Amino acid sequence: MSNVSVSNVREFNTVPDGNPKVESPLAWSYQQHPAPRASGQAGIVLREKALLGHLVLRGGAIVLDEAVRATLGMSLPAKPNALEHDDSGERSIQWLSPDEWLVIVPGGEEFKLERALRQVLGDAHYSIVNASGGQTVLTLSGDNAREVLMKSTSYDVHPNAFPVGKGVTTVFAKATVVLRRPSETHWELVVRRSFADYCYRWLLDASAEYGIDTQ
Amino acid sequence: MTQSNRIAAGGRVDRSQVLEFTFNGQRYQGFKGDTLASALLANGVNIVNRSFKYSRARGIVAAGSEEPNAVVQLGARDDTQVPNVRATQQGLYSGLVARSTNGWPNVQRDVMSWVGRLGGGFMPPGFYYKTFMAPASMWMTYEKYIRMGAGLGRAPTESDPDIYDHMHHHCDVMVIGAGPAGLAAALSAARAGARVILCDEQEEMGGSLLDSRETLDGVSAVRWVEQALSELAGMETVTLLPRTTANGYHDHNFVTLHERRTEHLADTAREAGFPGESRARLHRVRAAQVVLASGTHERPLVYANNDLPGNMLAGAISTYIRRYAVVPGQSLVLSTSNDHAYRAALDWKEAGRKVVAIVDARANPDGDLVRQARDSGIRVITGSAVIEARGNQRVTGARISAIDLERFVVIGKVEELECDTIASSGGYSPVIHLSSHTGTRPVWNEELLGFVPGKVKGMHAAGGVAGHYALSETLTDGARAGRQAALESGFNNAPDIVLPATRARRDAPACALYQVPHEKSALRAPKQFVDLQNDVTAAGIEVATREGFESIEHVKRYTALGFGTDQGKLGNINGMAIAARCLDRSIPEVGTTVFRPNYTPVTFGAIVGRHCGELFDPERYTALHQWHIENGAEFEDVGQWKRPWYFPRTVNGKKETMHEAVNRECLAVREGVGILDASTLGKIDIQGPDAREFLGRVYTNKWAQLAPGRVRYGLMCKDDGMLMDDGTTSCLGDNHFLMTTTTGGAAGVLEWLELWHQTEWPELQVYFNSVTDHWATMTVTGPDARKLLSELTDLDLDRENFKFMDWRDATVAEVPARIFRISFTGELAFEINVQANYAMHVWKKLFEHGEKYNLTPYGTETMHVLRAEKGLIIVGQDTDGSVTPEDLGMQWAIGYDKPFPWIGKRALSRPDTRRKDRKQFVGLKPKDPSVVLEEGAQIVFDGKQSIPMDMKGHVTSSYYSASLKHGFALAVVMGGHERMGQTVYIPMTDGTMHEAEIVSPVFIDPKGERQHV
Repeated sequence: MSNVSVSNVREFNTVPDGNPKVESPLAWSYQQHPAPRASGQAGIVLREKALLGHLVLRGGAIVLDEAVRATLGMSLPAKPNALEHDDSGERSIQWLSPDEWLVIVPGGEEFKLERALRQVLGDAHYSIVNASGGQTVLTLSGDNAREVLMKSTSYDVHPNAFPVGKGVTTVFAKATVVLRRPSETHWELVVRRSFADYCYRWLLDASAEYGIDTQ
Repeated sequence: MTQSNRIAAGGRVDRSQVLEFTFNGQRYQGFKGDTLASALLANGVNIVNRSFKYSRARGIVAAGSEEPNAVVQLGARDDTQVPNVRATQQGLYSGLVARSTNGWPNVQRDVMSWVGRLGGGFMPPGFYYKTFMAPASMWMTYEKYIRMGAGLGRAPTESDPDIYDHMHHHCDVMVIGAGPAGLAAALSAARAGARVILCDEQEEMGGSLLDSRETLDGVSAVRWVEQALSELAGMETVTLLPRTTANGYHDHNFVTLHERRTEHLADTAREAGFPGESRARLHRVRAAQVVLASGTHERPLVYANNDLPGNMLAGAISTYIRRYAVVPGQSLVLSTSNDHAYRAALDWKEAGRKVVAIVDARANPDGDLVRQARDSGIRVITGSAVIEARGNQRVTGARISAIDLERFVVIGKVEELECDTIASSGGYSPVIHLSSHTGTRPVWNEELLGFVPGKVKGMHAAGGVAGHYALSETLTDGARAGRQAALESGFNNAPDIVLPATRARRDAPACALYQVPHEKSALRAPKQFVDLQNDVTAAGIEVATREGFESIEHVKRYTALGFGTDQGKLGNINGMAIAARCLDRSIPEVGTTVFRPNYTPVTFGAIVGRHCGELFDPERYTALHQWHIENGAEFEDVGQWKRPWYFPRTVNGKKETMHEAVNRECLAVREGVGILDASTLGKIDIQGPDAREFLGRVYTNKWAQLAPGRVRYGLMCKDDGMLMDDGTTSCLGDNHFLMTTTTGGAAGVLEWLELWHQTEWPELQVYFNSVTDHWATMTVTGPDARKLLSELTDLDLDRENFKFMDWRDATVAEVPARIFRISFTGELAFEINVQANYAMHVWKKLFEHGEKYNLTPYGTETMHVLRAEKGLIIVGQDTDGSVTPEDLGMQWAIGYDKPFPWIGKRALSRPDTRRKDRKQFVGLKPKDPSVVLEEGAQIVFDGKQSIPMDMKGHVTSSYYSASLKHGFALAVVMGGHERMGQTVYIPMTDGTMHEAEIVSPVFIDPKGERQHV
C-alpha cells in the first residue's frame, strides 16, 4: 500500500482494493438541492466530473517536464496559466504557479502515476501531493455559460482574454477555484471539497434566469 | 384628470399605450415612453414635494438626473418601497405608485412649513443649532422632533421580494453617456475592433439628440441615433447598457454601473414578467480606457422665489416638449444669459402656447437663434433678467428689470409680466462628477464659464463635458476620443469615421450671470435658491462668508451646499460664484468641492448582489456533514466551517439542553468511547530535504530527532514571540512531514510558511501543500477506543507496538487509512485519516461496530471541556496574541539551544517577555463547586478593594466538568505560576463576588496514564 521512496517521502495509495462506498464532494448537495428541471432550452448545463485523480506537482520546470514526458507522454505547460490535455482528453496538466502544476487523470490512475514520477525524478527536489479527495471538477457549458461566469468571477472570461487552453486560480463568488477552458464549448471549475456545496448553490442561483440542466 | 398639458402629436411617447399610475393617492394617466416626471407635468401637477428645510412647495425643475425636487418614494406595497427615486429617471409603468418624500400631512398643506416662516422667513445656516442650543441637554429632545420633519424618503420595513445581482466586465473602451459624443466615440472605437461598453442613464439612448432641433445628414437627429444604435447593437464586441448609470469612477478605470432592469416595467421583477431575474444589476467594469461623455447640466439662474413651481430649466422645457410632447404651462418668460436657451421659447411657441418674453442679460445678443426668435414675433428684452418670480403655489408672474452685471445692481424700472412658467438658463456646467471621483481636480475654463475635468490616466473627456457645446464639435470630439481610446488600448487600424453633416449655427457669446441682483439686498429680498434640494440660499452663502467661512469646502459644510443625493448638480457653480462675489475673488480661487460617489443613489440591494441570505458567506462542510444533520447535530461556526457543536438526544420526549448533552458526551468519552469529526483541522503536507530544518525554524521546539512513525506537538510563534498556532506534526519520511494546524489558522499558517520560505530562506529545499480537504479525520477516543478500532483494522494496536505519539499506515473498514495515536482529550485516542471520499463509509462502519460500546458522537463543546480538563490550550481562546509559550508554562516545548534561531526566539529574551509578573496560564477551582465562572471575567487579588480594582488577570475558558462534578476554569493571572494555592476573586457586574483557588491547569490525570494505556 505504501512505502518510502528514494526521496524519503512516504507514498500512500488512498484508494481501497475492494469496493467500499465512495461519495463525491457533492453527494449531500444533490440530495439537498435536487436538480432543477429547465423549462425548455437550458442556457446552462452543469455536470460534475467526480472522483478523478488529482496530483499537485511542485518543482523545477525542466525536471518535471522530463518526468511527465516519460510517464504521461505529455510535456509540461511552461507558459503561465496554460492547460494541456493528452490526445484522449482525459489527462491534463495545468500551470498553477511558477513551480506548481495540477495534473488530473482518470480516478485510480493517480497513485500509479505518482509512483512512476518518483521513479523518474529520483532524488531531485520536488514534491507530489495527492489531492484527489480534496477537490472535484464541475463542467459548465451552454449558451449562457459566459454570463454565469461573469456573474461569479471578476476574472475576464471573454474569449479574447480567456482562450481555450487557459486556466487560472481565481475568485469565484466568495470562494477560490481553478477556472479553466478545455474546449470552445466547455468550462471547468476545480473546486475544493469543503467549498463545493457553496459553489454548487451559487451556480444554481446564478444560472436560474437562463435555465439550468444538471442531469 | 386629463392630460391637459399633452400635445396632440409628436414626441417619443406611444399614445396607444395608456398607463395608469398613482401619485400621492391620486390616479393619473400617462403614456408608454413617459417618465414619471413627464406624466406628472402632462397632468398639470404643480407641487411634487416639500423642501427639506423650509417646507416650501416645489415642482419639477429638470428632466434628468440633475432634478433636485422631484425625489419620490416609489412602491405599491410596503416590501417594494424604494426611496430617493428621481421622477425624471423613473420610466412610467402601469400601476406605478409614488409619493412625495417630504410633506406632512401632504404636500399641498404642509404643517412643517410654519417652521419655514418663523422668524421673518429667514433661517440662516445652522438655524437649528443656533435656535435650539439651550439647554444643551435638551438637544436630543429637540432633535427628535426636528428629524420627523426632515429626511428624503424612508427605508422599507419588510424584506425585499426582488433579487439583485452583480456582473463583472472587462473592456477596451468604456463609453459613459450615449449622447452625440458618446455615440460617435462608441462607433469609432467599435469600428476599430475594440471591446466597447456603452452605458447611458436615461430610459433611451441618444442624450440631447432626442430633443434636438437640429438635423444630421439632413434627417432628424433621432433617425441618426437609431442608425448608430442599430450598428452598435449588431457588433459582437459591443455591449449596450441603457437605463444604466455610471455611479462611481474608481482607481485604475474601475467603473461601477447601476442598471435598472425591471423597475421601469413594474413594481417587482415578477410583475414585470421576469420572475427570478434581478431587479437591478451592479456592473463592475474594469476598462482599459474610459471615454467620459457625460455632457452638461444647464445652470439655473438664482433669482428671488426661483423655487416656486413653474420655475424650470430652459433645456428641460425643450426636452419635455420635443421628447415627451408635454408643455408644462400656458405662458412662458425665458430668462437667459446665452443663445442655446432660446430653443425653449421657440419650442414653446411651436407647441402653440404663449411666449410672453425672452429676457436676455446681454446687451446686444445677435446669434442665429436670437434672430429666429425675433423673426417669429417673440418679444426679446435685452440687458435684463427676471429678478423675482411671483406666485404662491405656482408662478403667476415674473418681475423683470434691467441689470448692471458689473456693479451687481438693478437699474431702471421693474416691470411685471404675467406668466405661469419661468425658464432660466445661466449657461452650462460640464458634468465632471465622475472624473472628480478619481481625485483629479477640475480645471476652470473662463471661456466656457465652467469647470472641465482634470487629467485622469486612461480617461478621455469628450463632447459637452470637455467644453464642446456645438453639435458638430461634439460629434467630432466624440469620434476623436473613441479613436484615441481604441488606439491606446492597442487597436491602431481605426477606419476613418464619416461624421454626419450638421447645419452650422452661429451662437453669440454668453455672459457670466449666476445670481441675479434684486432691488433689495440678498438678505432682505425673497429667498434666492442656490441648492434646491438642501434649501441653500444666496443669502445663506453670504452669511457663511461673513461669518468667516472662506474656503468653499467650509461653506459647503456650513450651508449643506451640494450635500446629499443631489451632489451639487445644479447648485455648486452658482454657489461658488456667489461665494466668490462676496469674497471678491475669482471662482477658481474659491476652488471647487469634491464630488463623491455615488453620482445618484444606488439601492443597497444592488451593492449586496446575491451575497445575501444563504449565499452570504461560504459554508464549508466536511465529508460527514450529512450524517451530522441526520443525527440532529447543532452546529457551530468555526471560521467558515460548520462544525457539530453537540448532538442533543431526545430523552423521554424531551430534547436535551446543551448542558445535558455535553455532560453525557463528556462522560461517554471518559468512561466508554466517543467520536469526533476533526476533518476541519488544517493539514499541510511538507516535502523536501530541508523540511526538518524548516520545521525547526518555525516551531519553538526541536525536530532534529523526530523519527519516521513519530508525532510531536509544536508551538509556532510570531516574530514578537507570541503564540500564533499550535498542532501536531508527524514525520512521514525523513524528507516528509504532515503538519496540523488549528481549524481557523489553517490558511494563515500556510501563508506564514510560504512567506518565510519565499522571502527569508529561499535556499531551503522544501514545498508546502494544503491537504486539509483531501483527508477526513475521525477521532475515536475513550477507554474502549482500542477495542472498537481493533474490530475494523488490520493494524496491531498493542500499546507496545503502537505507542502514544506514534502513527501508522493501516486499513480501517477496508479503506486505506493513516492512524495517529495522539490525544486532545487525555484519553486513549486514535485519529483516523482517510481520503475524504471514503469517509462516510468508514464513519458508518465505526458506528455499526460501535453500537455495543455505546459509541457517542461528540461536538466542539465537549471537545473544549475535555481538553480543558486536561489543561490543553486552544489558541485564540486561552491565548490572544499577547501570550508567550513560557506564559503558558510550556518551557518544555522551547528549544533555546537549537542551532538556528527560530522565529520568536529573540523576542523571548526581551525584558518585557522575561517579566515575572506577566499574565501566566493557570487553572482556577471555584470555592463553590456549583459555580461556573464567566469566560472573560476579570480577576483581582483583593476582593475588598474599592473600585477601581486592580485587575490581575482574566478567565479564558470555563466549564462544568461532569467528571469532576464541579465547575473549573482556565485563566491567565499575573505571576500565576508562583501563586499556586492562593485565593483570587472574580467580581461580577451584578455585584456578586466569586472566590477561586489557583491550581494547576491539568485537572484530570496529571500523570498522563489514561492516554498511555
